[in-house]
Amino acid sequence: MFSFVSKRLSLMMMTKVCCFQRNFSSALPPLVPVKLPSKMETHFWYVLPDEVKSESLLSQYSELLSPREKKNLYHMQGDQFKKSALLARVLVRTTIARYQTNCQVNPRSLKFKKTIYGKPEVDWENGDKWCPPPLHFNISHTSSLVACGVTVNVPIGIDVEEKQRRLKNKILAFAKRYFSPDEVKLLTAISDPEIQRQELIKLWTLKEAYVKAVGRGFSAAPFNTFTIRARVVKMGGFHHFDTQHSEASEIVVESSDDPENLTRNWQFALLDLAGSHYAAICIEKENSAGGEAGVPMRLTVWKTIPFVEDERVSGTGAVVPISGLIKQL
Amino acid sequence: MASVTGTSACMTSLSCSFKQTQVGRISSVNSVSLSINGKSFPSLRMRSAPRFRVSCAAKPETVDKVCQIVKKQLALPADTTVTGESKFAALGADSLDTVEIVMGLEEEFGISVEEESAQTISTVQDAADLIEKLIETKSA
Repeated sequence: MFSFVSKRLSLMMMTKVCCFQRNFSSALPPLVPVKLPSKMETHFWYVLPDEVKSESLLSQYSELLSPREKKNLYHMQGDQFKKSALLARVLVRTTIARYQTNCQVNPRSLKFKKTIYGKPEVDWENGDKWCPPPLHFNISHTSSLVACGVTVNVPIGIDVEEKQRRLKNKILAFAKRYFSPDEVKLLTAISDPEIQRQELIKLWTLKEAYVKAVGRGFSAAPFNTFTIRARVVKMGGFHHFDTQHSEASEIVVESSDDPENLTRNWQFALLDLAGSHYAAICIEKENSAGGEAGVPMRLTVWKTIPFVEDERVSGTGAVVPISGLIKQL
Repeated sequence: MASVTGTSACMTSLSCSFKQTQVGRISSVNSVSLSINGKSFPSLRMRSAPRFRVSCAAKPETVDKVCQIVKKQLALPADTTVTGESKFAALGADSLDTVEIVMGLEEEFGISVEEESAQTISTVQDAADLIEKLIETKSA
């Protein structure tokens, strides 16, 4: 561990970039670094708040936040909610800090800003010698699960929702108000109310993930102007999909406003996460010659307690693909 | 920045129902409701400005009704303080809660909220102001 640190230190002297030793606090151990995802690869990190019990750890986590984040947290109501909000900030800061393999970044020093549409992104302010990685991220959380998705070069949107989530409004009334006519038709055709509710929640997470990936806000892509549905894909070819069924289903989005372009470029995955949540991931497909169909999303999933424990859970029972072309790594 | 018919108003020091995410999306509006710390300002003097109609902040009864609907949607304990200044995000509303709240408000007040407007709401007061504006437009 010490030779690792001294190599890092000499590297740091050579660069003009302002670097901090990852081990910035004597109380917290260093973050385990991770290689950036390659193209067409998605990294997905999540924390289960119920697994984070130590008050002293939570207190150390709070120290990572910016003054503004601390202030926002202070104003939040409800302990469970506050905790997951704290963990969301900690997860995004530590996750991004892990990927800085050439220059160690202190998760506390990361700055965030918003695009003109309100989408959060990292504010790499360190001047011209420093080329920040083309890293994209998106966060989502409920009171019982906090998640952060990471990609390189392409935008990403994620959404997580408790499987047991109940609506206050009636399911079809809600769908008619917010979803597209085709989606309403699909939901109406489901006779079992419990299945109907589950399908609504799944569809909601997919739609949210899409809007967040597009990154232009709810009003740029009103939910009722686009339809998301699963399309069966023949199993021929070299791609190996993770699926329980003999046919893989690809998730596609069609826009009533823009039938041709925008919507062909998005790739989706829908997962049953930790047995308790639906997680939807939407990434933009990189432009490849010919626009290959049927290429799966390469996905690696970690469950983490930052600074304490990281567990790669892709390919285990914690991550069960529901639909979308997915290859877990 | 909101643009008002024929004039540009400098709003930087005032809290306004229109948020920064609305850049490029606001076309001319005839009235803007302004509130500063809950007090409403019925008129505003501008240098070389033509008439500028400002509507008052929402009635307390409207704010109260919104608070009730929010409390119910978010299943907040009875002793939770919810006021006009309460931010939905701080109360624990996620995006699904927010759209459910909007639906609840539409039903309660008999109005229809556009996605663009819904996106600008961050506090209970914002919601109440928007509701009254929509009611006013509807009955006009």
